Amino acid sequence: MPFSTQDTIVAIATPPGRGGIGVVRLSGAEALAVSSSLITHSGPLQPRHATFTRIVDGIDQVVVTYFPAPASYTGDDVVELSAHGSPVVLGAIVRAAIARGARPAEPGEFTLRAFLNGRIDLTQAEAVNDLIDASTPLQARAAFDQLDGTLTRAIAGLDAALFDVIARLEASVDFPEEGYHFVEPAELAQALDELLQRTAALLGDARRGRLIREGLQIAIVGEPNVGKSSLFNALAGASRAIVTDVPGTTRDLVTEVVDIEGLRVTLVDTAGLRDTSDPVEIEGVSRAHQVMAVADLILRVEDRSRARTAPVACKKHKVLYVANKSDLTPVWNDDRAVSVSAATGIGLDDLRHRIVSALDVELLRDRPAITNIRHVALVDRAHQALTRARAAALAEGGALSEEFVLADLSDARAAFEEISGRRAPGDLLEHIFAKFCIGK
Amino acid sequence: MDPSPVSPASPVVKRLDMKNNFDVIVIGAGHAGCEAAFAASRLGAHVGLCTLTTDTVAHMPCNPAIGGTAKGHLVREIDALGGLMGRAIDATGIQFKLLNRSRGPAVWSPRAQADKKAYGRWVKSALDAEPNIEWIIGRAGRIIVEHGRVSGLALEDGDAYGCRALVITTGTFLNGLIHIGPEQHPSGRAGEPPSRELAESLKSFGFEWGRLKTGTPPRLDRESIDFDRCVADGRFTVERGDTPPAPFSFLSGSIERDQTACYLLHTNDRVRDLVRANIDRSPLFNGQIRGIGPRYCPSLEDKIVRFPDKERHQIFLEPEGVDAREIYVNGFSMSLPRDVQADLVHALPGLEDAVLLRPGYAVEYDFIQPTELTRRLETKRVPGLFLAGQINGTSGYEEAAAQGLMAGANAASCASVGPGLELGRHEAYVGILVDDLITKGCLEPYRMFTSRAEHRLLLRIDNADLRLTSRGREAGLVDDFRWDKFRARQRRFSRNLEVLDTTLVRTATGDRVAASQLLRQPEIRLADLISQERLPDFELLASDSALDLASAETTVKYAGYLRRQEREIERAHKDERRRIPRDFPFERVPGLSREVVQRLTQVRPDTLGQALRIPGITPAAVAVLGAFVGRLAAASQ
Repeated sequence: MPFSTQDTIVAIATPPGRGGIGVVRLSGAEALAVSSSLITHSGPLQPRHATFTRIVDGIDQVVVTYFPAPASYTGDDVVELSAHGSPVVLGAIVRAAIARGARPAEPGEFTLRAFLNGRIDLTQAEAVNDLIDASTPLQARAAFDQLDGTLTRAIAGLDAALFDVIARLEASVDFPEEGYHFVEPAELAQALDELLQRTAALLGDARRGRLIREGLQIAIVGEPNVGKSSLFNALAGASRAIVTDVPGTTRDLVTEVVDIEGLRVTLVDTAGLRDTSDPVEIEGVSRAHQVMAVADLILRVEDRSRARTAPVACKKHKVLYVANKSDLTPVWNDDRAVSVSAATGIGLDDLRHRIVSALDVELLRDRPAITNIRHVALVDRAHQALTRARAAALAEGGALSEEFVLADLSDARAAFEEISGRRAPGDLLEHIFAKFCIGK
Repeated sequence: MDPSPVSPASPVVKRLDMKNNFDVIVIGAGHAGCEAAFAASRLGAHVGLCTLTTDTVAHMPCNPAIGGTAKGHLVREIDALGGLMGRAIDATGIQFKLLNRSRGPAVWSPRAQADKKAYGRWVKSALDAEPNIEWIIGRAGRIIVEHGRVSGLALEDGDAYGCRALVITTGTFLNGLIHIGPEQHPSGRAGEPPSRELAESLKSFGFEWGRLKTGTPPRLDRESIDFDRCVADGRFTVERGDTPPAPFSFLSGSIERDQTACYLLHTNDRVRDLVRANIDRSPLFNGQIRGIGPRYCPSLEDKIVRFPDKERHQIFLEPEGVDAREIYVNGFSMSLPRDVQADLVHALPGLEDAVLLRPGYAVEYDFIQPTELTRRLETKRVPGLFLAGQINGTSGYEEAAAQGLMAGANAASCASVGPGLELGRHEAYVGILVDDLITKGCLEPYRMFTSRAEHRLLLRIDNADLRLTSRGREAGLVDDFRWDKFRARQRRFSRNLEVLDTTLVRTATGDRVAASQLLRQPEIRLADLISQERLPDFELLASDSALDLASAETTVKYAGYLRRQEREIERAHKDERRRIPRDFPFERVPGLSREVVQRLTQVRPDTLGQALRIPGITPAAVAVLGAFVGRLAAASQ
């Protein structure tokens, strides 16, 4: 089955973008169970009554309403959770629901269910009709895919390029006596490389998209007593970390979720990096290194009022240098570093701005962001299949013939088709016959 | 069973005086008809084989060759299921080639030039040797239907025969119309009259019809061509067969026969200019022909007009037999007038003085949309009526023969002889052929390609027997001789895999590893390991060594690929297993448009998997369908 009509599905039901209120809707037999496990409210949810509660991991306060089947929008059991309208918050709720067994809804799937269960008639379900009867699958996707329209276009472009490669390789296999070179090895390598670059770019965008939804992790690191915890508190707007002038005060990690220019960000304060014999502090330094390994951005804090030491090497990581204590007399200057004073708040706005641009999330605005986890998995599958195909086709000395390369390329294509709809395999021959004069 | 699926408009037939009663009657003794009659007979059915004349049994009216890419696979499968075609071509082939030899074993495809007269004689004598088959010589006329199912066949001369199942394999004979320039003859093949009354009888049932076109090139007199001189001065290139030839049949052993040469030449500017100058006189281009031709087998006119940038096209000269006078001009099929055809032949380098024995022509013919058929190739409208071959919109002897075998086995089953046979897409090209036909119908003559197979790496010529012979045995098609040989081969295959896993061999770097592990390295070949005597326990039967090597080597070397395709099949099986009841009321599923309901009702898919393959049916429509199939089934209980 392309998708089951029995699963419990979840999606953001309100239009994309920031609004006062946003609604996450679940529909299906497990809707009540999934949502009950999502919220702190412990009693049963009374049908059609609004219940004010919190999401278990503290994401937000929500108003939960349970509509038992069949008197619901879809005719299934439906639960709606109204939260603050931030895409970050709503996305986190959806992800939490998925983690508890719900499946991300396909575009139009709530309407489809409403229609299947006789809740709406044909005219109301015109959009569903488009989905069922569209003469091309792409049309069907376009009918629903407002959120993912750019993704659909990107996948369609990829699929068209892949399709041409496949058709040429198929022609080589099925028409070996035509005296044609349907595709030269160099041409094939170039085509596969281009495809790989494009899938890699999509996956990169997906990662950034995930960062936006799930929150980014920013580690604050530096030598002891340069003011990491002060900076942490200044950015968090609360005195979460203990600040003293004794070096090594912060021994474990301290985290706080903050909003930086609309981005959900987890700040992590770490122990000062130094050689020490204190076993507790050793552990703290080790944890600081672990955080640095996974953080999306590292704020490398230094004290501008003291002589500079050699900076800690942060290989492969995005690092933003922060020259703290700018309210004191500077003893060094470095244009690459952002000057701030955690104590007075001077330079913090500039730092916030630099953080956002360093995270490179602005790029996503007009690019095909993959927001659906299933789609990310499918693009990843396609990328892996293309990688295998390239290895098989171009292995030095042991290149495999077309039918093996095609086995992997077909897999990649199947993944694209699952994202953007289906195409009849007959098209392949059409494509070949239109391009090449074949046949005796 | 469907409540009276026969159109009420069909004529009421009074019971005729039956001269003879058969279990199965087959109309037509071409490649489909012969396999159908043979299969039904093998199962023990009493078969009447109706043909105009026994002179053209298993005739090759077009290309004198069997096999080719994917078609060679079909022949191997027909053979693995106990059919005739593989043995017939092995006995009468005059040049054998394994296509795609430079590629992997999954796309190796045998092809052979046939001595077409000898081929027909071989098949006829194989049918004559079947005590269950009787010839009915005459022109088939009317299909007799009683109580909503087939009960007999009336010939045009008035004789009638009873039968419990009828297989129609009439090729291009249904309202056949031959075009040579402005000349038009109602005819099924050169010199043979078409079937009109049978066409009318079939039409009365209300099937959906279409019209297709195919064509054939001129034939030249071998005596009028100086092959040696043209080869010597480079105008022709000699095309020779493989030595030793690879047989089609699992029973054939080695083929010891001199092979005949074919010749390759190319068209030139003069050919192009002549076609262009006379294009208005081509029935294909002046509107005289409306039937749809195969794109993979374009006429000369098509090649020149549609691909103006291609400077030259390949032409093969192929003898139609060891001693035959006719030379088949492969690649030169056309429907231009006779005088233009002569000029075109004479424009080819080396053929300036060639004598035309007969002109090429295009033929238009009726076919029945195969979406009218069940998976057993039985019509849905008339139980007991089976169709196979070109009448279903296919082209090619191999495609016809494959359908014939399936229709014959299932017609016998319909006459209560044998269990019948259905094959899936995952187990055979034959299964793909049938599923494509009944699911998608035909918009042009259907030819098999390896690209039609979703899991091509598993559907190889070397394992056709491992895939299908036990299926054929269950269906009653495989005799003891073939079965014993197959069992021995199957045992050899599994033992050889064991030997590869358990024999330790030394690698280039001196390590000792299992032979199967070494074999996974691309440059290591099984044949070399054996000839270097590093695998003393590997068992090879001299006559089948190519087969045994290919099966073992492929299974080990490409294990990763094969496993992946097997897993895909398992995944798809979920949909293939969700059955749709036979008389499911698609019109009662809310939300499906009239067009979708119409398509579903026409095809009547038996599983959700098949529904998903119907053109124009979206995954969402199938999701809706799936929900309601379960619901309506539950409600009706």
